[in-house]
Amino acid sequence: MIALPKSIKWRLQFYYGFILLGVLVMLGTQEYELERGQRFHHVDQELQMRLDVLTVALHIPPIRHDEDEPPFERPPPGEFPGPPPGENLAAVAQYNSPQSVGFFDPTHPEKFYFVILARDGRELARSTNGRHPPDPREISRHLPSGNTILVGASMTADWKDLRLATMKYVALYGLIFFVCLAASSNLVSRALRPIESITEAAAKISGGDLSQRISTAETESELGQLATVLNSTFARLEAAFAQQKQFTSDAAHELRTPVAVILTQTQTALTRERSAAEYRETVEVCQRAAQRMRKLIGALLELARLDAGQEQMNQLEFDLSQTARDCVELIRPIAAQRGIKIDCQLQPTECLGDAERLAQVITNLLSNAIEYNHDNGEVRLTVQPQGSGAILSVANTGAGIAAADLPHLFERFYRADQSRTAAHNGLGLAISKAIVEAHGGTLEVSSAEAEKTTFTVRLPWVAPDWRFDH
Amino acid sequence: MRILIVEDEPDLLRSLAQALREEGYAVDTAPDGEEGCYKAENYDYDAILLDIMLPKMDGWEILSRLRRVKKTPVLILTARDQFRDRVRGLDTGADDYVIKPFDLPELFARVRALIRRTANQATNVIEIGAVKIDTALRRVTLKEKAVELTAREYALAAFLAVHRGEVVTRTQLYEHLFDENDETLSNLLDVHVSNLRKKLGAAFIQTHRGHGYYIE
Repeated sequence: MIALPKSIKWRLQFYYGFILLGVLVMLGTQEYELERGQRFHHVDQELQMRLDVLTVALHIPPIRHDEDEPPFERPPPGEFPGPPPGENLAAVAQYNSPQSVGFFDPTHPEKFYFVILARDGRELARSTNGRHPPDPREISRHLPSGNTILVGASMTADWKDLRLATMKYVALYGLIFFVCLAASSNLVSRALRPIESITEAAAKISGGDLSQRISTAETESELGQLATVLNSTFARLEAAFAQQKQFTSDAAHELRTPVAVILTQTQTALTRERSAAEYRETVEVCQRAAQRMRKLIGALLELARLDAGQEQMNQLEFDLSQTARDCVELIRPIAAQRGIKIDCQLQPTECLGDAERLAQVITNLLSNAIEYNHDNGEVRLTVQPQGSGAILSVANTGAGIAAADLPHLFERFYRADQSRTAAHNGLGLAISKAIVEAHGGTLEVSSAEAEKTTFTVRLPWVAPDWRFDH
Repeated sequence: MRILIVEDEPDLLRSLAQALREEGYAVDTAPDGEEGCYKAENYDYDAILLDIMLPKMDGWEILSRLRRVKKTPVLILTARDQFRDRVRGLDTGADDYVIKPFDLPELFARVRALIRRTANQATNVIEIGAVKIDTALRRVTLKEKAVELTAREYALAAFLAVHRGEVVTRTQLYEHLFDENDETLSNLLDVHVSNLRKKLGAAFIQTHRGHGYYIE
């Protein structure tokens, strides 16, 4: 077995060439057979005619010149006309003369010839051009007398013509073969060209250049569609990478500031002897910075686990309104410090999921609603069943959120005002969204600037993409 | 030398200000962008340490506004470590770019270099006759012998030495030697000048009547 090259193009070419060659060889053979058959048939017809003519001539009695020859006796009527008693060998002589050109050419060794053989193989008569030309074709007939009449012709010229014709056919079919092969090669190359560009782009992407795309000039073909699908995959991959990169960079950024605080504080403290109070302050500042880092690291790890779907969540039935009530009780003292009123409208709502994690979401939304409220403002919390699921909303008065900031609100580390405080690390809403989405729900925000902001959590009874059963 | 720090992280702002004060600088602070921009535009600082991520107005905005009116040396002090941020910072008109977290000794050296460059000085040591002022070690010698100076006296000597050959007005001296929290008494400056003349020689500081002081 010949090892074929692995390339699809070469395999296609090989199979195509193989089939084409088979078809052409078959056609050529048929053509050749037809031609040869026709020529032989023609020669055979000619030979048969000459044989008939000779046979007839042999049986014509010789013309009598003297009267004592008995007359030709006709066979009695009703009887089979029996063979005549002998052949008139002399009668064939007329076909052996130069006058018979075209019928038997005695001067030409390769044209038609005849021989009459006796039973014992003796030559009784023959044409002058002899019997043994190259490539003979002969037919014979046994005469009633026991003699055999044999007519033949040389096929040399026919074979020569056939060979010439064969060569012409080989040349023609060869030309057709190569033209078709070239055309198919071109076609296959063109059909497979998108694969080359796909390979090229994929190689560059695997080399780290995620901005590469496959050029899709023709999007109609199957490969064009594949390229389009791959391009959109690459685009999503790039976006995910960019997001991850941004996240890592933001996380590093957020960690840099507390480290800067610790370094500055300790390096200053160590330049000289300090009082106990100064050392104490240094330690307190360092502790605050470290706490902030701990909180941030905790949030980062939580997000990473949520991203990976590794965060274990309970899947239990509970009353969401009760969970919400507990959260409000915990946070009410903080709201009271700023004179903010929390208005609750809680209907008993059965829910399936992790009550503790959803409480984390509610607390986060409530503390944001208090943080970004004005003094003596209002927070409205509602919980109610909706269809088979639940709907929870937290609305607050306050400055509202600019429309430009709304789409970015759930992005990690996004802050509308760029400020950073120890209490908010910019991950709270991202974590809340991830938790709600792990329950198959949605977290949305709407805001009227300078009026109020509403966060809405919708939870289905059973998540379509249930991520708890690990 | 008077420095402005614009930084929104309160602990960092406080400890940086303390560290720089202990280095002998007069330090003003601004906890947000608006205040930082106001101070930067309205006072003549010898250097400004500027954070980028600030509430109310970001560092880029402050820098481009400041560059329209003043050439005050600006050192960007930020956690943004991306290449394009560094380029943007320097191209917007910052003179240096330090990424958090930083080491204090390096930050101090960069601030000194910034001030030195503004004064067209090549080294940290300024020689005025027999007096040598080393701004890195904050040490003054007279005829190779160390002279004990108070922080304020040193600051006065260093400021005049950096602006050598120029007449420095009393207002300028007040602005550069005292920060916004100092209770300045009008005759405090004369006391320092007189103390310096006692320690470094009467000819060290010249008085330009009606204008101010200068060092030749």
